[in-house]
Amino acid sequence: MDDPRNRSDRFELIAATDGDVLERFADSVLAEEPALRVLQEPRPQLVMQRVREPVERRPFNLGEVVATPAEVSLDGTRGFAMVPGKAERAAFSGAVVDAAVAADHAVTEKVVAALSRTADAYKDERRREWAESRHTTVEFETMEDDL
Amino acid sequence: MGYVAVTAGEEIIGRAEDLFEKQRLEGDSETLSVDQLDDQLSRLTAQAMSEGGLYAPRLAALAVKQAQGDTVEAAFLLRAYRSTLERWEETEPVDPDELFATRRVSPAYKDVPGGQILGPTKDYTQRLLDFDLDGEANGTESADGDDAADEPSDPTADWDLPDGEPTTVQNVMEVLRDDGLVHDPDETADGADEGADADGADDGTDDEYEEPADTTREPVTHPPDRDEVLQELARGETGAVTALGYSAMRGYGQVHPTLAEVRVGKLPVRITHPYTGDAVRVTDAEVTESEAVVPVYEKREDPQFAFGYGLSFGRNERKAIAMTILDASIQLDGADEPAENPEFVLDTVDGMDSFGFIEHLKLPHYVTFQSILDRIRAIRERGEIDGADADVDGAPEADADVDGAPEADDRPETDDPVAATGGDDD
Repeated sequence: MDDPRNRSDRFELIAATDGDVLERFADSVLAEEPALRVLQEPRPQLVMQRVREPVERRPFNLGEVVATPAEVSLDGTRGFAMVPGKAERAAFSGAVVDAAVAADHAVTEKVVAALSRTADAYKDERRREWAESRHTTVEFETMEDDL
Repeated sequence: MGYVAVTAGEEIIGRAEDLFEKQRLEGDSETLSVDQLDDQLSRLTAQAMSEGGLYAPRLAALAVKQAQGDTVEAAFLLRAYRSTLERWEETEPVDPDELFATRRVSPAYKDVPGGQILGPTKDYTQRLLDFDLDGEANGTESADGDDAADEPSDPTADWDLPDGEPTTVQNVMEVLRDDGLVHDPDETADGADEGADADGADDGTDDEYEEPADTTREPVTHPPDRDEVLQELARGETGAVTALGYSAMRGYGQVHPTLAEVRVGKLPVRITHPYTGDAVRVTDAEVTESEAVVPVYEKREDPQFAFGYGLSFGRNERKAIAMTILDASIQLDGADEPAENPEFVLDTVDGMDSFGFIEHLKLPHYVTFQSILDRIRAIRERGEIDGADADVDGAPEADADVDGAPEADDRPETDDPVAATGGDDD
């Protein structure tokens, strides 16, 4: 998830970006009154999380995750986004942003910069969590010889 | 069989609801925000998500607030909400090795590859009340009148953190498998393991696999497949899973496991992008995972281990470990011990089923109880008549069901939480 111009990477970055940020970009795109069609209304839906358990290596259904997808067509260019949780405005805004970047809209550079910041923040957060947890690595000693 | 109509009216029911809401608002403190619950009471929200079978941290915080801290009620609210939503699709199966672990301990292997990572825990410290927490926030005076303890600060702020790129740690199961100590799955069992190689080993990356059952859509049939067992245990009620798991260790079963590892971390939730066809990450779901090692009793000529597995949404190690014990116990398929009987276990651990069945006892049972009274009176009257006929013992004949217990076949048959608590008189 490094390249905001790559559609799959962009999807992940939009999903991780704050909804207010997405909304500001979407508002600036929609202010120009482009031909907008909502192909999929932003409504919360369920994604069933499947996990391959390590004993028999068979998948099972762990449970469902709430996510909100949305799809739009902006001046003939489609955009799709899915954000975690119940977040209709963020999902709609994300779909508009996705379409805008795909169409190389004037706002693209700013969006790319914002999504790159999301990528950096995600990496920093992971690095911090990793470092904090490794800072608690312990070695257990057995003491049979001392007993 | 009759039924009872409530004649008091909606207004009275509304008043009762108002009183319930008043309880939540009583006192002089500020109203709890959903953000506060989400940030600070994550164990509560994790339990609600786990038992609700629904990962949605903020909605779980809302449910906990609405339920005034009753986790089963909160899980009920989440399941009721879930029933209003459409399904987008299923994720590609994610391997446990992809777990980004923030905590991982292996009671089985001292020098486990990747290390013993304690993570956030108080497992090794004393459990004493911390009176500084009383009055901690926002300038409120603490219990001992000391304002200095008011402002919380990050106790890790001064840590000198190690450098290095984040990675994941190898699953202990794979360590044991590499040593040939894992009881390989039965290839022929129920047509499973279609993605396995000829030697029964699966590289874990093959896209071909048997479609797992989904117990939220199809009821469990007995004997259940393991995917059904794991799904039902994963959303089981924490206390019930813990109690039944404990029963196996307490002597009502044969499984006293050694835990290969317990991990807490984040699993990626991936869908297939509709335009590119790539597997793309929507979010990470926090989970707790547990693996347990137990002997394979029937394979004495080739000693290997069998395993139990536990996985649950959110941070809930007790439930994940107990799930592991139940998974291992059910595989023994014993007839005499409760924890080894999948029908007993799966019928008992679901919080919504027990919630509905227990709570429905509060609803009017006037007709049922009246029929019980009629029976008891008839028996007593007959006894008096018999006594009047100079029966030597004077005892009534116990030829009727005098314990007064109604037939217990009225349990909810549906996953629908609304239906589970509905009904008047049985």
